[in-house]
Amino acid sequence: MMDEMMMDKMMTKRRMSKKTLASIKAYLFLAPFLLLFITMVVYPIALGAKLSLYGQRGARMWYIGLQNFATIFQDPKFWESFRIPFFLLTVQVPLMLFSAMIIAFLYEKMEKHGGGLYRFIYYLPHTIPGIVTGIVWSYIFSDSMSPFRPVLDLLGFSGTKILTRPNLQFILLLITLWAFTGYTAFVIYSSLIAIPKAFSEQAQLDGATFWQIAFKIKMPFLRDVCITLFIFNAIGAIQVFNEPWMLGKLVVLPSNYTPAMYIYNSAFAQGRFTYAAAMGLILALLTFIFSLYILRNATKQMLTGESQLLP
Amino acid sequence: MKRIIQIALVLLLVGSAALAVDYYPKYKGKPTTITMWAWTSNENYSIEEFQKLYPNIKVVWEDFGVHYEKVQTALSAGSGLPDVLMVEYSYGPQFMDLGAFQPINRWLSEKNFKKLYGEAAMGWCAMDGKIYGTPQDSGAMAMFYRKDLFDQYGLTVPKTRKEFIEQARKFKKAAPHLKFFAAPIGNAMWWIGQIWEAGGKVCDYSDGNWYINFTNPVAVEVFETWGKWFDEGVLDLEMWWNADWYNSLNEGTTAVVEIGCWFAEWLRYNAPDAKGKWRVAIPPQWNPAKPHNGMIGGSGFYVTSHSKNPEAAAIFVNWLNSHPASLKCLHNYSNLPIMVSTRYEEVIEEVAGPDAYFGDQNISETLWEAHQLVNTTFVALPIMSNVDESLSLLIQDYVDGKIKRFADILPRWEREVIKTMKEFGYSNVITGKLP
Repeated sequence: MMDEMMMDKMMTKRRMSKKTLASIKAYLFLAPFLLLFITMVVYPIALGAKLSLYGQRGARMWYIGLQNFATIFQDPKFWESFRIPFFLLTVQVPLMLFSAMIIAFLYEKMEKHGGGLYRFIYYLPHTIPGIVTGIVWSYIFSDSMSPFRPVLDLLGFSGTKILTRPNLQFILLLITLWAFTGYTAFVIYSSLIAIPKAFSEQAQLDGATFWQIAFKIKMPFLRDVCITLFIFNAIGAIQVFNEPWMLGKLVVLPSNYTPAMYIYNSAFAQGRFTYAAAMGLILALLTFIFSLYILRNATKQMLTGESQLLP
Repeated sequence: MKRIIQIALVLLLVGSAALAVDYYPKYKGKPTTITMWAWTSNENYSIEEFQKLYPNIKVVWEDFGVHYEKVQTALSAGSGLPDVLMVEYSYGPQFMDLGAFQPINRWLSEKNFKKLYGEAAMGWCAMDGKIYGTPQDSGAMAMFYRKDLFDQYGLTVPKTRKEFIEQARKFKKAAPHLKFFAAPIGNAMWWIGQIWEAGGKVCDYSDGNWYINFTNPVAVEVFETWGKWFDEGVLDLEMWWNADWYNSLNEGTTAVVEIGCWFAEWLRYNAPDAKGKWRVAIPPQWNPAKPHNGMIGGSGFYVTSHSKNPEAAAIFVNWLNSHPASLKCLHNYSNLPIMVSTRYEEVIEEVAGPDAYFGDQNISETLWEAHQLVNTTFVALPIMSNVDESLSLLIQDYVDGKIKRFADILPRWEREVIKTMKEFGYSNVITGKLP
């Protein structure tokens, strides 16, 4: 009895020292990342936080405490700019996740019939930088050079403009769907193939169809990855910039069309860096709170969901 | 007699040499290198000429795509601006007001500035008597038109606004699928240039105060007239500087473009298919009895507050934009048709000539004439990007039918501008009148 306790104690001690050694090793491996993270993320944020406490006219800066933040809360232009992110968040992100899931199931179904080729093709749009696709899309939706123009002319819409302010949000929807659905499907697919085959085989024996297996058996397993993807895309939606920026050459857009555009314009077109820094912080904070909320709630749901699932 | 002429000639030579020395002081400092940010093409030819005369000043020229973004960043950071900075006249006051430049009166007196660049240029390069830089190219408005379309539909080149709209009506009737002219949605300086051309202005600066009055009779008349033409359906409104607009200029679906004379260079490079089809004319006059013109664009070269050697920078900007040797380079290599400097008169005969792109028309001559009609100044507000944005949104609202009368844009535009001036902390704003 005694011996066993001693042994136990010694074991924990050794384990402790092993643990510290392990964490030192871990930090050593993390060092390149941490270095970049601190210099490229933490430091700029800290600098931004400092800047946000100053008033500015050209090179002259003076301390004003939280006045920038007080101004932002009364600046309708900042809050109006969330209209587009909200639209993308509520329409584009769910739509994309759903269609990506269907595509992922199809990837799996076509495993032996050239699935790899389709994965490659669907993934391609994601590899092109947003600013480049923005230029191409602006030609596709231009009035005089659009490839849709002859079709529209034939259908009797010869005078109508494609790219108008009201249409723009749907065009943005289309562009983001095109750019990210393939990538999202690919990520979902990779967790799809990690699901043990036993489940689907059993269901198949019981006479379930492919789609029944997909939605009833496999979908619950995908909840985890979907939540992660939802958060990533939500962040993307809140920070949307490139596509409206490029399309802004074809249609008149206010400088506050999206929060990121308003921040950029405030800083670089109007020279209000400290005000822009304060808005950037608020945008980051809102994104953080939103992600945390989703993560918390979703994890809770997931835990209860999983306990129901497992026998 | 011969002797007298000889003496007179010698005196004249000595006199002009003395004058030249007066304009371009000797550089007394240590050998130095100054930097310059500018987007005109081929500035290096002028720089080479300059360095021959001033071997102790080396000029390093850089060109960035994101010019103003970089300027704003360096200005806020408190360091990083080059010695010499190219800025459009409409953005000059903003950067003067923000403290981006330093005065160069020590090396270029007000008297010499006015002699070299004219009285009007003080509005673009100086504030409160402090001279910050020198003007390079002129943005005098000119009317670019398609001669092939004018011939095809039997139009004559309009000299007055009345003739202008008559030709537009005639053209629209004969070719409803084409555009006679599409005015810009936005481009505040274009619209301010129209008012300027008509002999008015909407804002000014005087004795430490900014003046704003967008609803004065001249401005209202200009906007009401254009509005009438838009409502009539003979003229269009469209966004400029995008793929559709470029395409229409290249393909010839628009007959007329009214814009600054620097556009000659732009057309040459961006609408190569239209070679030989464009011509240039003085813009149609609002009041033919009192011919006048306004400007859109054009840029000055300013000495920044970050410059460690303002003497060298000041000597350079003055030489660059007024010395005949440099003006020739700017015309021949940078393709700027008209320079602001009064000394351009000394080289215009030599550099002007038939231009193949414009069907062998001597465009420099016409544009020089257009430039001579700009004899008043205009001072922009220090928030031009906001002035621009609010006008774009309002004109778009008119296009979308949300604003019924085009002239109703003016009071709304004025309200937005006054609001932004206040928001940006300007307390020295006087509204409802001009000095």
